[in-house]
Order: sequence, then C-alpha cells, then structure tokens
Amino acid sequence: MFEPLSHIPDGMRYYSGSEARLRRGCEDAVMAVFDGWSYEEIETPCVDYLALFERGMGYAQAHRAFRFTDTDGRMLALRPDVTSSVARAAATLFADRARPLRFCYASQVFRQQQLSHALWRRESRQLGCELFGVAGVNAEIEMLCIATEILNGLNLGQDFRLTINSVEIFNGICAHLALDEPRRERMRQLLDKRDAAELQKFLAGYATTETERASFARLTQLSGKGEILEAARRIITNPRSVAALDHLGVLWRIIETLDLADCCDIDLGDVSGLDYYTGLTCKIYVRGAGAQVGSGGRYDHLTANFGSPEPAVGFVLDLDSLTDALMRRETAATRPRAARGEATPLPRPDTDPAALFTDARRRRARGERASIDGAR
Amino acid sequence: MTELTIALAKGRMLDEALSRLARAGVRVSHSALGSRRLAIEDESGAHRLIFVKPSDVPVYVEHGIADCGVVGRDVLLESDADLLQPLDLRMGHCRIAVAACADEYPAAATGALRVATKYPRIAAAHFGARGVPVEIIRLSGSVELAPVLGLADCIVDLVETGRTLVENGLEVVEVITESTARLVVNRASYQLKAAAVSRLIGSLRDEAEREGAA
Repeated sequence: MFEPLSHIPDGMRYYSGSEARLRRGCEDAVMAVFDGWSYEEIETPCVDYLALFERGMGYAQAHRAFRFTDTDGRMLALRPDVTSSVARAAATLFADRARPLRFCYASQVFRQQQLSHALWRRESRQLGCELFGVAGVNAEIEMLCIATEILNGLNLGQDFRLTINSVEIFNGICAHLALDEPRRERMRQLLDKRDAAELQKFLAGYATTETERASFARLTQLSGKGEILEAARRIITNPRSVAALDHLGVLWRIIETLDLADCCDIDLGDVSGLDYYTGLTCKIYVRGAGAQVGSGGRYDHLTANFGSPEPAVGFVLDLDSLTDALMRRETAATRPRAARGEATPLPRPDTDPAALFTDARRRRARGERASIDGAR
Repeated sequence: MTELTIALAKGRMLDEALSRLARAGVRVSHSALGSRRLAIEDESGAHRLIFVKPSDVPVYVEHGIADCGVVGRDVLLESDADLLQPLDLRMGHCRIAVAACADEYPAAATGALRVATKYPRIAAAHFGARGVPVEIIRLSGSVELAPVLGLADCIVDLVETGRTLVENGLEVVEVITESTARLVVNRASYQLKAAAVSRLIGSLRDEAEREGAA
C-alpha cells in the first residue's frame, strides 16, 4: 500500500522560525521562574507502565495514552502526564530527602485520544512544578505566586486570569445529597457545563424543596471575586463544604493583600479533575487561547498510591497553547525573545576554508553570530 | 470596540434568536440583516454576530473564535464540543424522537436494528444505554424516506410538529429527549470577558423568564 510520506499524523506538528524561537524563549522564562523559587529540574522516563498513569491520573485519563506491550507482556504507555511519575519518585526514590521537596520539568506528553476539539494536539509540552510535603495555605499561595510571576513576565497585561476553587465544596454537597458515583458524575458534568436548567431538573430527585434546588443550581453562576464566597455561604450549609469555603476565604484575603486579586477569580463551577485533586484547584486562561493554558491544584492522595502519603500541590502550563495565544497577540513587543544579535557577513565562501573558518571561529569567540553562505 | 462575538445558527431558529437578542439589547439594523454579510455588528458596536450552520456553532465557540452562541440542544448533544451551557433560552421547542411505521416496530429483529439518522451519536447513545444492537445509517436529509423504502427499521430525528412524519406514514414511537435553544459560552471567554458575558446572560435570562411566564 502506498502512503505518502508528506502526511503527518493527526494532532502532531512541526515548529520552526519565529514560533520555535518563541517557544524556546517562553520555556526558558518559565523555567527561570521555577528555578528562582528553588524548584529542582527533573526528567521523567518518556515510557512507563500504564499502571503508573492509571493510579496517577485515573483510569479514564490514563487510557487516552498511546499504549503498547513490553517484552514481558506488561502494558506500557507513552507518558500522558508528568505528575504521576514525579509523585512516584517523591514517594520512592526521594523518600529520604528533606521536605519540602520541589521539582520542576519541561517535558513532552502524548495522548492517542485528543482532549477536545480545541485541545487537538496529541503531543504537547508541559512546563510544570510540584511541591511535596507542605499541607497549609503556604504551598497554595506559593503556587499562585509562581503562576502570576510567569504570566506577568510574559507581558500579558490584564489579559490572563487564574481561577481558583476547592473540590471539597462539591464533594460536601454530593455527600450531603447522598449521591452515588454515577449520579455524582452526572451532577459534576452539569455543573461543569454551568447548565443550570438541566441541573435543576436533575436535582428534583434529591433536593427536597424548590428553594434548595434553585439555590444549588445557583452554584453554576458563582464566579467572581471574594463576594462570591458570601453568596455561596447563603446556599451551602453542610460542614464539609463550609470548611472549604472558609479555606478559600483565607486564601482570598492573602491574594488581596498580595495585590493579585485583579488577575484571580473564584469559580465555584470549576469541577473538572475531581478524582485527582483533594482541595484547591486552579485554572489558567490567556486571551487569545480558546481553552485553558494551564491547571493545577492540591493532590494529597496521589503519593499514597506509591506507598507514602504526603501533601502535594502543583500546576502545569501547556507550552503549545500558551505560545499559540502569544503568537495570536501579534505585538512582537510582548514576546519574550532570546537575546540574539544580527549575523555579520562573513567573507565569501569561495575563500580558503581555513581562513573562512578561522574568521568564523574568531567571531564566535567574541559571541557574534556566524552564518556561512552556501558551500562551494 | 467589539466585546463579544456571538455565533447564531442559520435556519429554523434564526429569526426568533435575533428578536430575542434585540429585546435583550443586542439590536441589528434592518439594512445589515438584509445584506448577505455573514458577520455584522450590532447598533452599539459592542457585539458582532456571525451566521453559521447549526452544527458549526459549537465549533466556532469551542475554539473561542466566537465567545458565545445560540444553538439547539439537539446540536449540542450530537456534537461532543466542550462548552459551557449557562442558559436555556426556552425557545425553538422540539423533540428528538424515534419514529417508525408503527405496525412494523419494533421489528422482529434477530440481528441489529437499522436506524437512519442525522444524529448518529444521539442514536447510538440511546440504543446503547439499553443494550440494543444497532446499525446506524448516517443520512444528511429526507430521513423519513429511509423506513418507507426499507433502508432502515426506524429513524431518530428532530420532531417539531410531526407533520412530515404523518405525511410519510411514520409516527413517533419513543421520545428520546426534549430540545430547546441554548446559550453556549467558550470556557476561556467566560473567565476573560466575565463582565460582558454575564451582562449578556443576565439580560437573556430576564427575557427567557418573561417568555416562560407568558
């Protein structure tokens, strides 16, 4: 069968020219911020056991991965995320290291099944950081500080937004309504889509009064600044959710003091990734990108899967979505750029090679760019 | 400056959507509407309306090219677009139903039920949930012909008045779900243009509630 070699698999692409430079510049800027907050770079294996990702990301997400079998018959996967592997390392290889333990990475991740139409890539580059061993608000604030420092450094002005929520608010409501797993998932989907109309219909079987139904459906609309928490308190009374609201309240006051309130929003309707996160969740949006460019949160249960429970927070930025948005913003001034001088013309290539390259190496030694015309 | 781009589905619901938007404060001039332009600004200049095929509304909104859209729930169920659906506009009422020649349904099927439809996802999900094996035959129009001519045992289609079904000797044997027009919003726009989006949702909600009460 004839297959043209020009064809590229769906969801894969090349980067070159200004786009490749932008990616490199962006990645360097992000990694420099991680380094500035004392995060140590880690490289995880590109191929690992599927079981690792099943435990790390949950079955459904892990099974989006490219999968194949090892020589002994065990299932392998091309890594669909990095966090699972970093968490395993923290719990095993680095078990004896002093806490807090901070890791960062810039790694390709792969998925056979696309996440959505807008997130169409099957290969993308994740820039992420993970902090192990800190349970309180400090770890969460550290994460928000790092994320805002990165985004401010990209000169996005007001054109980015961090949204925060706590999965415990939703978990508390589900426990209060005594929802079983399939119904909890149904309610999560409706809330995630902010579908107040369908949510109210769904709640008919669980919430006893019309008022209660209407007020839970109001959850879909609770997105904004600190006042959202007050509105939520009037709707939600179960102790588990209230504790989570209190926690968000503490965080929000610190966010205001740090002058981050303009670029942060509380979004009680963000309920994606429930099986993964155990407390705070965060999403990052940038104008010019149709979907989120980053996400993160607290995942205190993850390392327990690898034998050593400990608190952890982290977030990732999707370099591809981020640079897409930056490319669309077009104003070259906003793009981070690796310092790079103009190439000064070298002698014609028909001169003696030894002389040509002596000259070229001298220029390189002075830090100039060398660009040699076509070979003779 | 244009704050929001709104994608509208051309076809059966367009006029109703435009008059609903007008009452919610997004007015377009007659001359702009009369033209054949596919993207027009409203009188305030704050909104841009684009007109696309119904099934393309979720595509434009999911990619963030349009911030919002107005489209039937039927289209949303069929597309697997990842969108926010904050508002039921309570207009463009219809049902998604299984229709067949009543005396031949359910077919004495030993094999798979043959279902002709423009909605392969909805049809597959509906029969799949009950464990009925089906052969989905994807058509793009005149679906009612399929059972009459023997291409399929039944159809899954949108039913507004049911007249087309009756005139072709079919009837609704099962309603899968109801459909009305929904306001859909891009996930990033919902956060980054929160003020403009919530203003639009608010005024459309007021209109939808007035409509619902009337």
